[in-house]
Amino acid sequence: MGPDSLSRAARAFHYWDRRQEAVAHNLANASTPGFKGERVFARLLEGVGVEPLGSTDLRPGAMTGTGRPLDLALDGEGFLVVETPEGERLTRGGSFQLDPFRGVVDAQGNPLLGDSGPIVLPEGDLEVTPQGEIRVDGSIVATLRVERLDRGAALHREGGMRFRVEGRTTPLPVGEAKVRQGHLEESNVDPVGALVEMIEIQRAYSALQRSVLVVDGVMDRISNDLGRVK
Amino acid sequence: MPILSTAATGMMAQQRRVEVIANNLANVNTTGFKRSRAHFEDLLYQTVEGSERLEGTETGTTEEVQIGRGTRLAGVQRVESQGPMEATGRPMDMAIEGDGFFQIQLPNGTLAYSRDGSFSISDQGALVTSSGYGLVPGISIPTDATSLVISRAGVVSVTLPTSAEGVEVGRLELARFPNSPGLRALGENLFQETSASGTPTLGFPQEDGLGRILQGTLEGSNVEIVQEMVEMITALRAYEINSKAVTSAEEMAEIANALIR
Repeated sequence: MGPDSLSRAARAFHYWDRRQEAVAHNLANASTPGFKGERVFARLLEGVGVEPLGSTDLRPGAMTGTGRPLDLALDGEGFLVVETPEGERLTRGGSFQLDPFRGVVDAQGNPLLGDSGPIVLPEGDLEVTPQGEIRVDGSIVATLRVERLDRGAALHREGGMRFRVEGRTTPLPVGEAKVRQGHLEESNVDPVGALVEMIEIQRAYSALQRSVLVVDGVMDRISNDLGRVK
Repeated sequence: MPILSTAATGMMAQQRRVEVIANNLANVNTTGFKRSRAHFEDLLYQTVEGSERLEGTETGTTEEVQIGRGTRLAGVQRVESQGPMEATGRPMDMAIEGDGFFQIQLPNGTLAYSRDGSFSISDQGALVTSSGYGLVPGISIPTDATSLVISRAGVVSVTLPTSAEGVEVGRLELARFPNSPGLRALGENLFQETSASGTPTLGFPQEDGLGRILQGTLEGSNVEIVQEMVEMITALRAYEINSKAVTSAEEMAEIANALIR
C-alpha cells in the first residue's frame, strides 16, 4: 500500500504501453512478406512489479504463389543469408531482384549468399530446386545457404527484414531445407488476434487506472481525514 | 506517442498498395503492360529495455525488448511475366513471345524500349509506334507494297506489284537487359534504361535467348482482375485494422489522462 503500489502501477502502465506498441508495429507489417511478429510479455520481479520482455514469434506465415522467379520462400525452418556492409544477416523476406551485373540482391541491394558467396546468375532459365540448388538452363550455379539458429543464439531485429544473430548458426542438413521458388511467405501477424489483444490491453489499462484511483483515494483519506483533529 | 506514427506507417503502406493496384487495374487492357506489386519491409527497431540475458532462455527469446516503428515501402516491383497473346489480324501488329524489347527512337534523340508492338506506317513509309516514334533500326515499307510479312525471326518482307516474290526490306532487332525490372517506365508503354537495368545487348529475334515475333498478334496486359480485387480487399481491411490501432492508442492516452482528477 502507499507510494510503493503507485510505482508498481507505473511499471505496469509501462508494460502495457510496450505491448500496445508491439501490436501496432505488428499490424503495420500485416502485409510485409517474411515478417515475424514481436511479442511482449511480462516477468514478475519480486517486490518491484512487472518487467517487459520481448521475443520474436517465429511461427511460419502462409505461402502465396507470385510466379516471380526470384521470390524465394522457405517452407519450414531456417533463414536465408544476406551480406550487408556490417556483416552477414539472416532474413525470411524472400523477394530478391537482380542488380545490373545479374547478382541476386535484396530490396536494399545486399547480396544473397550461396555456399560460395554472392550469387551471380548467367543468362538463361532460372530454376531453384526445393533443396536450394540454383540452376540456370539445368546446370547448378550455386546452392543457397539456409541456416538455423544454434541453441542459445538470439535474434536481434534490424529493420529491412533482417536479423542479426548473437550466437552461432549452422547450415540446415542437406535435404531438410525446403525452398519454394515463385512463392512468398506472408507476414505471420494474425490481424484478428491482434485486434483481440488490443481490446485486452485496453481493458487491462482501464483496470489499472481504476486501481490507481482507488489507492489514491485511500491515501487521500489517510493523509487528509485520519489525522484530522475535530 | 510513437504508437500513432507506427500505425500511420501501416496506413500509408496500404494506401500505396492500393495506388499500385489501381494503376494495374487501369491498365488491364493496355498492350504489353506489366503489373506492379508494392513490396514492404519493417522499419528500424529501438531497443527499449536492457539486454542482460536470462538463465535458460529459449532460442529466439531475448531479454531485451525491441520495438519496431512500423513499415515502409521497399520498392514497387514490376512482374515481368508473359501477357496473353491476342490475335488482331493486323499485319503491323507484333508481339514478342519471350525475352526482349523493341527499340524506339524518341523525338529528343534518346532510345526507349517497349513491349507494345502495335506499329503503324508513317507517311514516309517507316514503322512507327501509335505515338509516332520510329522503330529502331528503321525499316521503310515501299508505298506500293501490297502485303507485309514478318517472320518469327523478325525478317520483314513485302510483296510489290512488280514481282511475285517477296522482297526483304529489313530485320527487326530486339534489346535485352541484365535486369529488365530495373527499367524506368516513361508512360506511353515506353521504358528507359537506368543504372539498375544495366546496358542493353542487341540481337535478332529467336537468337541468343531472345523471344520470337508473332505477326498479327499483340501481347495483352498481364494484369489479372480477380487477383487485383483480392489484393484490394486485403489492403482495405489492413488499412481499417491499422486505424483501429490509432483509436486504441488514443483511448489508452485518454485513460491515462483521467488519472489526475
